[in-house]
Amino acid sequence: MSAFLSYAATLLVYLGVNTIACWGLNLQFGVGGVMNFAFILYQAMGAYITAVLTLPAAATQVDERYILGWHLPWPLPLAGAAVAGAALALAVGSFALRPARRDFQATVMLVVSIIAATLVTSEQGWFNGSQGLFGIPQPFAASLGLGIDGYYWFFVAVTAGAALVALLGTDLITSSPWARKLRAMRENADAAAALGVNVRAESIKAYVIGGAIAAVSGGLLVEFIGAWSPAAWGTGETFIFFVAIIVGGLGNNFGAFLGAFLVLGVFLELPTYLPQFASANTEESLQSAAIGVLILAFLWFRPQGIFPERRRRLSRLVPAGVTEPVVTQPTVVQSAATESAALVRDRPQEQRGPAGAVPRTQAPAAAATRAPSARLAVSELRRGFGGVNAVDRLSFELVPGQATGLIGPNGAGKSTALKLIAGAIAPAGGQVLVDGTDVTGQPAYKMARLGVIRTFQHTSEFAKLTVLENLIAAAPEQPGGTLGGALLGRRHARARQQELLGEAWALLADFQLTSLADTYAGRLSGGQRRLVEIMRSLMARPRILLLDEPMAGVNPTLRLTIEEHMKRLRDGGLTMLMVEHELGSVERVCDSVIVMAQGKLLATGTMAELRGNQEVVSAYLAG
Amino acid sequence: MRISLGKAGRPGADGGAGTGTGTAAALTVTGLAAGYGDTPTIADVDLTVGRGEIVTVLGPNGAGKSTLLKAVLGHLRPMAGSVLLGDRELTGLRSDQVCRLSVGYVPQVNDTFPRLTVLENIEMGGYTLARSVMKARLEEVTELYPQLRRLASRQGGHLSGGERKIVAIARAMMISPALLVLDEPTAGLAPRPADELLTEHIAALAGTGVSLLMVEQRAREALAISHRAYVMAAGRVVLSDRAELLLARPDLGEVFLGRAVPG
Amino acid sequence: MSQIVLSLGFGLVTASILALGAVGFTLQFGVTNLFNLAFGETMTVSAFVAYLAMVSLHWNLWWAMAAGGAAGMVLSLLISRLVYLPFLRRGTSQFAMVMVTVAVSFILKNVLQIFSGATYYSYQLPPERPIRILGMVFDARQLTIIGLAAASLLGLHLLFKYTRLGKAMRATSDNGPLARSVGIPTDRVVSAAWLLSGLFAGIAGVALAVDLGTFGSTTGGSYLLPIVAAAVFGSVGEPYGAVLGALVIGLASEVAANYDPQLKDVVAFAILVLVLLLRPDGLRAGRVQMRAEVTA
Repeated sequence: MSAFLSYAATLLVYLGVNTIACWGLNLQFGVGGVMNFAFILYQAMGAYITAVLTLPAAATQVDERYILGWHLPWPLPLAGAAVAGAALALAVGSFALRPARRDFQATVMLVVSIIAATLVTSEQGWFNGSQGLFGIPQPFAASLGLGIDGYYWFFVAVTAGAALVALLGTDLITSSPWARKLRAMRENADAAAALGVNVRAESIKAYVIGGAIAAVSGGLLVEFIGAWSPAAWGTGETFIFFVAIIVGGLGNNFGAFLGAFLVLGVFLELPTYLPQFASANTEESLQSAAIGVLILAFLWFRPQGIFPERRRRLSRLVPAGVTEPVVTQPTVVQSAATESAALVRDRPQEQRGPAGAVPRTQAPAAAATRAPSARLAVSELRRGFGGVNAVDRLSFELVPGQATGLIGPNGAGKSTALKLIAGAIAPAGGQVLVDGTDVTGQPAYKMARLGVIRTFQHTSEFAKLTVLENLIAAAPEQPGGTLGGALLGRRHARARQQELLGEAWALLADFQLTSLADTYAGRLSGGQRRLVEIMRSLMARPRILLLDEPMAGVNPTLRLTIEEHMKRLRDGGLTMLMVEHELGSVERVCDSVIVMAQGKLLATGTMAELRGNQEVVSAYLAG
Repeated sequence: MRISLGKAGRPGADGGAGTGTGTAAALTVTGLAAGYGDTPTIADVDLTVGRGEIVTVLGPNGAGKSTLLKAVLGHLRPMAGSVLLGDRELTGLRSDQVCRLSVGYVPQVNDTFPRLTVLENIEMGGYTLARSVMKARLEEVTELYPQLRRLASRQGGHLSGGERKIVAIARAMMISPALLVLDEPTAGLAPRPADELLTEHIAALAGTGVSLLMVEQRAREALAISHRAYVMAAGRVVLSDRAELLLARPDLGEVFLGRAVPG
Repeated sequence: MSQIVLSLGFGLVTASILALGAVGFTLQFGVTNLFNLAFGETMTVSAFVAYLAMVSLHWNLWWAMAAGGAAGMVLSLLISRLVYLPFLRRGTSQFAMVMVTVAVSFILKNVLQIFSGATYYSYQLPPERPIRILGMVFDARQLTIIGLAAASLLGLHLLFKYTRLGKAMRATSDNGPLARSVGIPTDRVVSAAWLLSGLFAGIAGVALAVDLGTFGSTTGGSYLLPIVAAAVFGSVGEPYGAVLGALVIGLASEVAANYDPQLKDVVAFAILVLVLLLRPDGLRAGRVQMRAEVTA
């Protein structure tokens, strides 16, 4: 009986430790999309550091050499482990996360764990080489005087406590706005960057936290076992952890726990109950090979795992009564402004308007509270590709608060110009000025934070986030949107989240897409995704909105809806630059138009003027 | 097959539809509809390219010109209609099958193998040829564009835009295609090389007997070297006529700048 | 000084083996765009096949190496056809494919362990007379390995430059869709790339086992470190760059081992980190520039 109880206790400790580790990996990989193929290294780091912080300076065993040996009281060694894990992750992440390809990153991390194992084994003085450390005193073992079995259960309680803390922490993080940013990054790093996310920095943060969590799990394990050696941490262990969270279900804590239970617990323990039919070695290898087959089967038949990431239905959180715009007065004033503006500017097209236009009622709250229009100017902007000058000494200035069209034949450089302004590509020369400040060469995420928001030519939705999440992810200034903010808790972020939900819902209502609020963006039709992209760019609080062919692939009715919204934004004072081939849309929405050809600015004016401009007509015909 | 030398290659004075060198037209497209997703981007497209003709497809962006090319070349499966090469059915065939049926293709982008030399690039065009035929063809193609001799060992990625296009055309010509399809050959080129490409290099093909189907943005110059042309807008063919007649139309520019086309 | 010259000699041997491995790894990536993390295990399997040939069939080393090379070819082709291609055809994402290759490597390693146990094996080759060349010391076997590597690389170069298949492989690696549209049977080219990469893995695996003296089921897997380092050095996908990387790493690590034997692997790792810090997307950097943005 006692043997069974102590066995059960051991299993529980292992389950707890493995679950904590899986939560760490889930944060890195499931949420952040970082393939940490050096995972076991962090658990090992935690184990080693905990050991050498617990052990006294003088080796208690003969021939056991190691660094530190500070003999710190519990729980300091665990804290030290967390710090060490985080530091190691920072160091490794600084080079391993540099390549853009995730499979390349994964390969580099795998290689890191190989070299680490080699070094630890060969450098005797670090952690006693291949023999490893042993005789590590278990915390409070002596003082509690519980006897072996009793101590086991004490440790179960300790592990349970640690797991609880880890659960609260990771749950807090993974349900925060910051985690939403990570998921967005995971889905489409470029689009996330264009909305202000510093992808590299946030990836490193997720990596570091995961590393710390893995380290703590290692620390607990070594305190229980009392020994640790390179045999405990090969690249195979990393693989098994990955199998666990993929089988259990990526992206959510319960899935990670399920994986820890089923794979690390049940599956690995099973052989002890089967009759022995071969040597221990053979059985272990068979088991490992079976794990390989298991993951292949899951990747083929059920890649989302047993318990997939649950869809976050935010629509039920939308504050009641939001379908009416929050501010009614300004919209009335705005309509008047539109009227007078129409009278001031000679816009015959406005009256001509499309037949059977769908009546638009109120402007969304977001548009009503816009930041003052920004000024955008480019000067001598230059960029070439493979010997061709895509953009050739381009200079223009946008009238703030107006919509400007950017048209021209194929190969004119319009899209490139937009990307240069938004920071997606670096210019070879020239300047980009926002409100008079030189922002040339700033990366995309910094430009986004300045309010320069760009939509993409090919839709770039965050596929596995719902439409509402896509919209909210784009909004700046979210208290829960940084790691620190996330840790401060839900209440800290709640007010702003509610606000944003209201805004997003109102936007959806305007575009008549509220029924899609909780649908995964990846499941939408092409036209719907285009609308989500536009709404998302609006949620990002643009001060200058750069639209890259917003009407591409959009049917005529939808086109009118989008045009109406653009007009409203224009009237609300948003500076817009729209690259578009649909010249009808350009004519209806834009106050003035810039024509580019062969990378240069050809002419500016209204569409009517340009049609009469012989040079422009030639350019279109001459290409 | 002897290729006539020289830069001549201007279309004959009587460039009417389906000039009578052969029996069936080189390419016959009837009632073609194609697109991505559920709704067709182009519909009811009828188009022919006679043997030895140069036919240009013009139109504003979004008109469906590249969709048309993709459907002809087998990159897209047509939703309706048919595509005939001579009297062979092309409809629904995959792109490598289409290629084997003697259709050459010069894409708009990624038209060369950057790390292969010019000579190797062109050789790749003749991949499906027997070795004995390859050498002879290589000679013939080099006669068509003598500047290739000078560029022979330059890497594909180190060429200027204009030079790349010539290499791409030479490559496509290696299989002596019955039909050569060019997708916006002057895209991304500065005015002078673009002009040269159209008026000299592409026009030179007219003398080789190959039929040309070309999508172009530089409408005037393209029309100047073509026999006939089609203008597309919003997925349909809105104008079709002999090139010189289209060129003479005063409202051509307005068609491009978005005005509706009368009649 | 003489010590350094001596270690240069060792470096040549190391570089030769590394070049074979790195080129096999990188040329397959170039054509298929897949990081095949089961490459190391392919090397190990080949080393074992050679061992069996020598012990059971009493073949001499070189015939056994040929058997190893053949085994590598067969294994590579089988894995690509039975596992990778089906997953790729389904549209499996890039990072899921990494999991697939790691799963394959894991299965291979463990199956090997079932048969070989945890012991280390050795070809138990008789020691040979040292041959002195320019201050460096080799034995006949090592010279043969260097020669073999040089010949293989030369053969590969000739293949790439002068044969139809070789040019088709380069074309497919350069611009897959264009290659297809020109009539190149890219499926067959891809299979050829796997076969070739398997062959190189096989020869490298056996050569590595000879050089190390002993080998086990984990030998190939750990060799992934210098292979990736060498491949990244010249930009992954570029076989000629990988050879240069192998030379640099091979020579540098042996010279460093002069001062401290532990430094061998560290050098490869340090070079990898350096390259990543300086040129993180050295991956086909030249190619990215080729793509002219010619749409709007």
